[in-house]
Amino acid sequence: MNKTYLTNVTLTDGSRRDVCLGGSASGCGDSPWPGIKLREPIRCTPAGEMSIPNGARHIDAAGKLLMPALFDLHAKVEIAGCSKRESVMRTGQAAQQGGVWGMLVMPTPGFCFDNSDKLDSFRDMVLHRSAAEMLPAGCISIGMQGEQQAPYNTLMARGVSILSDAGRMPHSLLMLHRAMKYAASTGYTFAMAGDVPELTRNTYMHPGTTSYRLGLHGTPACAEEIGLETIIRLAKDAGAKLHVQTVSTAGGVDIIRRAKAAGCSVTAEVALHHLLFTHEAVGDYDTTFKTLPPLRDRADCEALIAGVKDGTIDCIVSDHTPCIPFAKKQDFITAPQGMVMLDTMLPAIYTHLVKPGLLSWVDVVRACCVNPLHVIAPESMEDDEEGISRGVPLLLFDPTVCSSVTADTLPCGTLNSPFLGQELCGAVTLPI
Amino acid sequence: MKPRKDLLTIGSLSDEDIHTILDSAKAMKDIFTKSVKKVPALKGKSVLTLFYEPSTRTRSSFEVAAHRLSADVTTFTVGTSSVVKGESVHDTIDTLMSMKMDYIIVRHKNSGIPAVIARHCKAAVINAGDGAHAHPSQAFLDAFTIREKFGTVAGRRVVIIGDILHSRVARSTCCILQRLGAEVAYMGPGSLVPPREHCGVPVFRDWDEVFSWKPHVIYLLRVQNERIDTPFFPAADYHRAFGVTEERLKIIDDCDAAIMHPGPVNRGVEICDAAMDYRNCLVCNQVENGIAARMSILYHLTPQTQNHE
Repeated sequence: MNKTYLTNVTLTDGSRRDVCLGGSASGCGDSPWPGIKLREPIRCTPAGEMSIPNGARHIDAAGKLLMPALFDLHAKVEIAGCSKRESVMRTGQAAQQGGVWGMLVMPTPGFCFDNSDKLDSFRDMVLHRSAAEMLPAGCISIGMQGEQQAPYNTLMARGVSILSDAGRMPHSLLMLHRAMKYAASTGYTFAMAGDVPELTRNTYMHPGTTSYRLGLHGTPACAEEIGLETIIRLAKDAGAKLHVQTVSTAGGVDIIRRAKAAGCSVTAEVALHHLLFTHEAVGDYDTTFKTLPPLRDRADCEALIAGVKDGTIDCIVSDHTPCIPFAKKQDFITAPQGMVMLDTMLPAIYTHLVKPGLLSWVDVVRACCVNPLHVIAPESMEDDEEGISRGVPLLLFDPTVCSSVTADTLPCGTLNSPFLGQELCGAVTLPI
Repeated sequence: MKPRKDLLTIGSLSDEDIHTILDSAKAMKDIFTKSVKKVPALKGKSVLTLFYEPSTRTRSSFEVAAHRLSADVTTFTVGTSSVVKGESVHDTIDTLMSMKMDYIIVRHKNSGIPAVIARHCKAAVINAGDGAHAHPSQAFLDAFTIREKFGTVAGRRVVIIGDILHSRVARSTCCILQRLGAEVAYMGPGSLVPPREHCGVPVFRDWDEVFSWKPHVIYLLRVQNERIDTPFFPAADYHRAFGVTEERLKIIDDCDAAIMHPGPVNRGVEICDAAMDYRNCLVCNQVENGIAARMSILYHLTPQTQNHE
């Protein structure tokens, strides 16, 4: 394998190093990122101490950061009006631009992973079309209808390790409880968001000054929190592993903190937009900021960031949801929820969280690289030459490059990015 | 007043705009007493009323207002149109704009629809009520009615009672009255009144608190049963707890306060029969002033439809 030499590169712990990527694994010493299986062996020396053979590939990486590429635990790839192949291709490009090498794809109506045929055709598409790795999350129920359990054993034989009905709470808790009991013994993780559908029906945003001004019904925080308590108790009773999706409230962070302290087998994620924006961003019916769960208060953002820092929240995810421009041009009530985030993932994290000092690079690596892989448990997957078991690639991040986000710089092609027209700092080189 | 294409919310208007429209409404009302109740201000202009929700008074009020300004009025009946076949608002507007309308008066159950339409077309768009968001022409007629009754809005205390949560009237009327210097408070069932930290308006629990505040105007809202899927309050208690009963009418009479209501009135729910005949009941004045206020609004908007393709 060809070696690549990087000199004067900064690592995520802040140290300056010369780095050799590739070659044989022997004599490499400890990886700077324990807990991650890297795609290529890495050898580090203090800056200026590495001898570079003539003719070797050499990159002067002064001022740049070397880190493992991100793994996103929550993305939707389906783009309405696009073929499935094109959806996969565009999402793959978007991810690569945002520094994301792989993602867990949530089932959607077009990509409803409830049988082996759909998984096989998706895997083929990913293999041939996608620049990024895509693992499907299996459906909890057939067609995500919440009635009949999906064939879990069949899904597991195709490498599925996480089950989700795209965050939706099934109508029947009994169905869910039985599904958890059945799947617990197989090692599945259930990925769900807390919700009480009856309390959130016909609600469109966080209740507060903005919802009052706009005349929109508010989604009470207690609905998410009651739902969270419910799924945590169900999972505990059934002995199933639970991954809580898109926590959005301060109360939700507390519930997860308590559950972890009580020894429950629970992990949790937060969507990047819930760390960055509040309900006030909706302004005058800006449908880009219509999300599920809705954007909350400043106090919730702060509690979520604190949760990421102290490890209560394991992962930061993109909750990438492409919506075509026409859909988002409709009125706020009719427009679909969600924003695209993969295209700008790492620059947005840097610009809005790392640069202002809210999170460190160590936090980012933990929440976006290490923990997501632990949640999907790659060790349980068969060791093939393709896919996730090849290991995590590294990326180079140049924080000095700032550029405006425009329609041309969003490879996923839909324009529902909250950063459209804004400047973000940081440029990703992936692969190096 | 600077040329303005649309009227979507009170909040989007400057103080000067509000005063100009109110002052002109007075001039418009003077026309009503003439033998010819019509002026040629909008002669040759076409006005479209696009009501996705049922309405009698707002729609006919706008139609009469447009007729008195000599505009041509077309009524778009949603129930018998392609809308019931699932046509999107954008496509409906494209179709209607091909007919070269100058003014579109729109009502819709979804908050924010008039803004979507206004962005999408060159006609002047007037929000005639969208969801629980805004109803600016109602706000103007309410402010005009209070000004007519009391001489000025500034310094008056107005309590709005009832279903604030679903009420676009409460939001817009509260906004214009505060802008004109009035004090506004809310009262109603706990499940239908937003907390003060959300709405920024004092919230009273009951009539005792209302009366001790000494309001000049008691503004009653209709209980909007059509917007209520799951009950918000015990219906049988409403009149006794929040309505103007005959006993409360006596206190209102003693304080010489006025009663207002945007209509249609549910007698025996928010208001007793006797209150409708009360000497300071301004409900009919509101209807009459509605035409004047809407004439003034139409008169002051500037569609960008000259020479349009």
